[in-house]
Amino acid sequence: MSAFWYYVFTLVFFLFDYFILAMGLNIQYGETGILNFAYIAFVAIGAYVTGAASLPNAAGTGQQYIMGWGLPFPFNLLLGGLVASAVAVLVAFIVLRRLRTDYLAMVLVSLSLVLYDVINNYVPLFNGADGLYNVPQPMAGIFHLTTNSFIPFFAVVTGLIALLMWFFMSRIMKSPLGRTFRAIRDDDGVAGALGKNPFGYKLTSMIIGAFYAGVGGGLIIQFGGSFNPTAWLPGETFVVFAVIIVGGVGNNVGMLVGALVVETLLIHLPAFLPEIPGHPGLIEYIDTMVVGALLMVMLWFRPQGVVPERVRKSAGMLADRARGRGRELTTATEGQGKSGE
Amino acid sequence: MTLFWLSVGFGFVTASVLAIAAVGLSLQFGITNYINFAYGDFMALGAYFTYVFNAEFFHWNVWIATVCGSLLMGVLAVIINHLLFSRFARRFSKTFYVMIVTFGLSLIILNVVYSIWGPDVRAYAMPIERVVRIGPFLLTRDQLLVMAISVVVMVGVAVMLKTTRLGKSMRAMSDNTTLAMTSGIDTRRITTITWFLSGTLSGLAGAVLGISEGNITPAAGELFLFVIFAAVIVGGVGSIYGAMAGAVIIGMATEISAAFIDPAYKLDVAFVILILTLLFRPNGLFSRPKG
Repeated sequence: MSAFWYYVFTLVFFLFDYFILAMGLNIQYGETGILNFAYIAFVAIGAYVTGAASLPNAAGTGQQYIMGWGLPFPFNLLLGGLVASAVAVLVAFIVLRRLRTDYLAMVLVSLSLVLYDVINNYVPLFNGADGLYNVPQPMAGIFHLTTNSFIPFFAVVTGLIALLMWFFMSRIMKSPLGRTFRAIRDDDGVAGALGKNPFGYKLTSMIIGAFYAGVGGGLIIQFGGSFNPTAWLPGETFVVFAVIIVGGVGNNVGMLVGALVVETLLIHLPAFLPEIPGHPGLIEYIDTMVVGALLMVMLWFRPQGVVPERVRKSAGMLADRARGRGRELTTATEGQGKSGE
Repeated sequence: MTLFWLSVGFGFVTASVLAIAAVGLSLQFGITNYINFAYGDFMALGAYFTYVFNAEFFHWNVWIATVCGSLLMGVLAVIINHLLFSRFARRFSKTFYVMIVTFGLSLIILNVVYSIWGPDVRAYAMPIERVVRIGPFLLTRDQLLVMAISVVVMVGVAVMLKTTRLGKSMRAMSDNTTLAMTSGIDTRRITTITWFLSGTLSGLAGAVLGISEGNITPAAGELFLFVIFAAVIVGGVGSIYGAMAGAVIIGMATEISAAFIDPAYKLDVAFVILILTLLFRPNGLFSRPKG
């Protein structure tokens, strides 16, 4: 295979990986309405735990990290997701119970920065600013993969995992649990009045979303073999938000479209462009500016995203409509055009 | 003990810078009701405007450059609000949309700064200062001037809010925008003036941070933003006096803690105070009921 195809498969990997990450943020923000501005921190936790669990004992590797159990592939990934979920429980109990939207956003951004600061400075945890490296390639021994053939192989594995997680996510979204999430998103007071405990459901949503974040992060470290703090600056959360907003909040197909447009076409494809002579890094800077601008343009002209959320109808609503008493149906972004003054 | 008093001195300097920044953020939040996540990048821009006036092109005295850089940032904030924020705020009732726009703007400004000035650390052109000893504190003349500026700004903002017609209108708007509008207050004009003040203060804070730290980097504002958030939340979001008090608490706590623990964890001390405040007094120490 030529180098071109390795590029293509790298892009395919990031497409599927960000699809998973977007689904996780979508259930938190798009379905339940939690503004999780610390999302990338959960991705990082998943990545570090997956990596550290699969690495051999730290003694003699020249790195410092906890765990080092040499855990084989799917189990370290699962562990990464579960630890991210466990951290989400902790975070939810501290911040989700009484904070208003803007407080919540500020505290979560701060949390993301502080976690970054601690992991960056405290070397014994995950090797500090150098991050983890030389993480073993999963299943390479079983299938006799080389460094090159590993790329398409793992892109396909990620695709299968994404498919599985898509299946589970769409089941959750169609279930009564998903309906309750959306009820809380639209008005948690009303949901509470109907006997649903908003905090309990927000907690559940945080746990599920954080698991997706953790698995997505784990796949990143397994694919690249390394992970360090530059990969998860707090601004990266914004990229995931861009994916779900461009794709369409509240819709899984939209997540895939968003991942394709933002992550694959805008973030990773330009990395293969040649540098502008005399201006190192300029392409990357312009690239990030374009992502920011695209998001504003999308919010202004098409706030419902490329693939809008489907209006869900219950049997009762359909019966009403048949009798000519159609109720007003709204989604997260519809009805936002009115002035809020 | 000397180390302790030294860090108390630095605490005053950090608190001064933080107070300017926190008051700027709080003023704007009180009026418009959404958080400006680009505030840290406003600070960086103010610092780099000052750098242009001071070292890159004009070679003015650093304090004159600071004034010009801050005012320029104030004007830019008004333009940004007019072209971007106010439009999104009028169109969408959920603050999430404006917050995401400020987040996006933060990404754009940061990368504009990187593209123009590059990632290198830069410093203002200013004479090297002799250290002055005042009581147990060791400070440079510039650091003393930073504190003086901060005190002047705080008193100025307090007097403006208490006595002038503008200040009263601002307080009325921050209590209840609709009521203020029906009472004949020109809310658009007040919003514009508030953005000018907030932008100017952010620019001033950025430049003064650069002066007291001795260097400026594009990402310095973003890291500082979290400390501002901590100060604002500890003091009570939207309360100006709370922001001032929060700035003193967070500024002193981070610097004094650096005398006892590894200074790399300074930020985390601010975060611990933030979490404790949220657990025991979730609306901040100086919050007032909001209608």
